[in-house]
Amino acid sequence: MSKPVLQIENLNKTYMLGKRLVNALTNLNLTVNKGEFIAIMGPSGSGKTTLLNVIGCIDKPTEGTVTIDDVNVTKTPENKLYKVRRDKMGFIFQSFNLLPYLNARENVELPMEGKIKSREERKKRASELLNLVGLSGRENHRPQRLSQGEQQRVAIARALANDPAIILADEPTGNLDTKNKQEIIKLLANLNLNQGTTIIMVTHDTNAALHTERMLLLKDGKIVKEKEGLHLAKKNSKCPHCGAPIKITDDNCQACKKPLFQTDELFAS
Amino acid sequence: MGIISRALRNLSRRKVRALLVIVALSISLSIMVSIPAGLMANQESTSAMANNLGNTITQTSQSINETLSQIDVSMSSNFAGFGFSQAATPTPNTSGRNGGSTSDVTGPQNFGGFGGAGGGQFGGASGTASPMNQSLYSDIADISGVAAVEEILTASQGSSNQTTTFMGRTFTTLITDYTIQGIPLISELVDGYTVLPTNITAGRNLQAGESGGVLLSQNNSKFFDVGVGDEVKIVNETFTVVGIYSPSSTENIQSLYMNLSDAQRITNNTGYITSLKVFTTSSELVDTVASSISSLHSELTVTTQQDRLNQLQQQQSLYEEALASAQSSLAATEATAIQEIIVVVAATSLIVLFVMLYTVRERTKEIGTLKAIGFSNKVVMGQFLIEGLLLSTIAGVVGIAIAAFAAPTLSSLLLPTVGTQMGFVNVGNATSSTVTLSTTLMLEAMGVAVLLGVVGTLYPAWRAAKIRPAEAMKYE
Ligand SMILES: Nc1ncnc2c1ncn2[C@@H]1O[C@H](COP(=O)(O)OP(=O)(O)OP(=O)(O)O)[C@@H](O)[C@H]1O
Ligand SMILES: [Mg+2]
Repeated sequence: MSKPVLQIENLNKTYMLGKRLVNALTNLNLTVNKGEFIAIMGPSGSGKTTLLNVIGCIDKPTEGTVTIDDVNVTKTPENKLYKVRRDKMGFIFQSFNLLPYLNARENVELPMEGKIKSREERKKRASELLNLVGLSGRENHRPQRLSQGEQQRVAIARALANDPAIILADEPTGNLDTKNKQEIIKLLANLNLNQGTTIIMVTHDTNAALHTERMLLLKDGKIVKEKEGLHLAKKNSKCPHCGAPIKITDDNCQACKKPLFQTDELFAS
Repeated sequence: MGIISRALRNLSRRKVRALLVIVALSISLSIMVSIPAGLMANQESTSAMANNLGNTITQTSQSINETLSQIDVSMSSNFAGFGFSQAATPTPNTSGRNGGSTSDVTGPQNFGGFGGAGGGQFGGASGTASPMNQSLYSDIADISGVAAVEEILTASQGSSNQTTTFMGRTFTTLITDYTIQGIPLISELVDGYTVLPTNITAGRNLQAGESGGVLLSQNNSKFFDVGVGDEVKIVNETFTVVGIYSPSSTENIQSLYMNLSDAQRITNNTGYITSLKVFTTSSELVDTVASSISSLHSELTVTTQQDRLNQLQQQQSLYEEALASAQSSLAATEATAIQEIIVVVAATSLIVLFVMLYTVRERTKEIGTLKAIGFSNKVVMGQFLIEGLLLSTIAGVVGIAIAAFAAPTLSSLLLPTVGTQMGFVNVGNATSSTVTLSTTLMLEAMGVAVLLGVVGTLYPAWRAAKIRPAEAMKYE
């Protein structure tokens, strides 16, 4: 039923740092199915951002193939890559990266510019997306008049603009306070649950990662561990501990009483 | 939200910077416009100057040629018992006094006051050069090589004293109201030689055999306040104005012409003349004829045109010098203009270049973001090109508006002035011509502004397009 939207084979990425070679990614393999919500975790310098950038076609791998929607993007010429980025990818950044001189709606419209000819249509779609992320009524506000959480919502709406195959989020909650963190994670989780959006999220935050369905631990450019997140349980409506049915709103399993959103010593090693 | 409105918002986001750039660009553009405008004005006035000088040079050459076969003959000044002082002539080279074509070399007609001291028949307010008994000199016509003899009576009429300061010295001159030129109106002379003014501006010239008619100069016409066909009282007889002439550079502006017999009668000089002009059959015979005249009549001053030729040639070289100097001064001006324009163009494109480079640098992260969300390099480049273009276009409009008001001031500040006085020759002044902006010049300036905008932005825009998004993301 679910078919891979992203296949990474034997991916290597090396940087030259002065005369030294830095292996940011080493022989990395990964398959992501359509509709998955994935968290990438790992210590600083482990290659998380590098991996995300390679998937997002804003960085080139040294070796290996990246296939998105059955297209080998490592073979796509540089001057055509912008189309892959525009049509297949939605980027969400830690520091939101909104254009300060454009209002919320205009920021969301940006990626549509090369794709949707009609200005009216772009406006309409941008308004709908802002509505989806809970920002209706804020369309004409410029970023500086929006809270950090609201700014990240605008960025999420912008990432959704062209109905991408994959949403790539690099520490989307990194600059947010606890309350906003939760709201953004909830928003992403709901997008995944309700719209089936494929999301790959880099995060340092275990709580945030737990809301995904699959957690990958990166170390020295390799995926060293993989674990199910609770989001999968929610999707499957089954307790990951005892298998009893659960509701999405539940914090603890009704049957075994174990907490549904805290997994002890996850990635402890 | 199009690319242009984004560019406008970006400019207005950095208002002070945009304003400073626009001010700097518009000033350099207005300079850029004013320089060619001033140069054009200089070129116009120089070519007008060159024209004038060219005409004068041609006229002078003509009179050199015409007079080559002529000999002026008059009574030696010491023979008559009084002398003329050349020093009293205020400006030997100014028009009207630079040598009458017929008789002025030894008999300056302006000095009626001196003439007044002469013999009884020249008394009263009227004055002439030394008198010569007409009948005594009929033998000159028989000398071999003589083609024609023109007997001339010149008599100046004047009254007022005028002081002139020239080269630190003060001269008092008796100002002549007008000078009577009595010319024999016989067809041999009138039709065969240039004995009368040629540049008739109204009416007609004097004709052979005519009496009672007078040809006035424009000055005379003003002085008497009469026109063609009017009657005018000269000394104490009434004449009819047959025509008005415009004096050439070799004619006295105050001379009026009439039949010799009329002139002799009204000035009470019947039988007398003041000078003779001898036309030789060829210019080679001039010296021989001159010495024949001298040996026949030792009391006479005989002047060949060699002296006058020298004088005319001197004048000629002065004019040519003035022309050359005006032209080289224009060339220097053009060189300066080109240098200044190069500097301004370079400065303008550098301003655009550095501002846009700074802008690109400042917006590295924005560029990275735009690329990450799917903007092509072309669109990113276009974004910056349009911003640079908008800046320079606005600056262009402002600059042209400034230039429209300040072009004369700016160009006079920036360009050396062509022309002015050269020796005694007034060759005109470039600053007197107006510096104006033509529509073509304005359009060209606008084009240059836009071009400089593009040139200055091209590299920064290319830099922007080259930015690698993954790197740009790390940039704060
Ligand atoms: N442009 C570059 N030149 C040289 N080395 C680089 C470059 N970008 C990244 N690296 C190196 O590659 C490795 C992986 O970097 P990356 O940014 O992917 O780590 P990360 O997991 O995202 O870390 P963090 O959690 O701090 O964001 C690091 O050792 C880093 O120093
Ligand atoms: Mg990172």
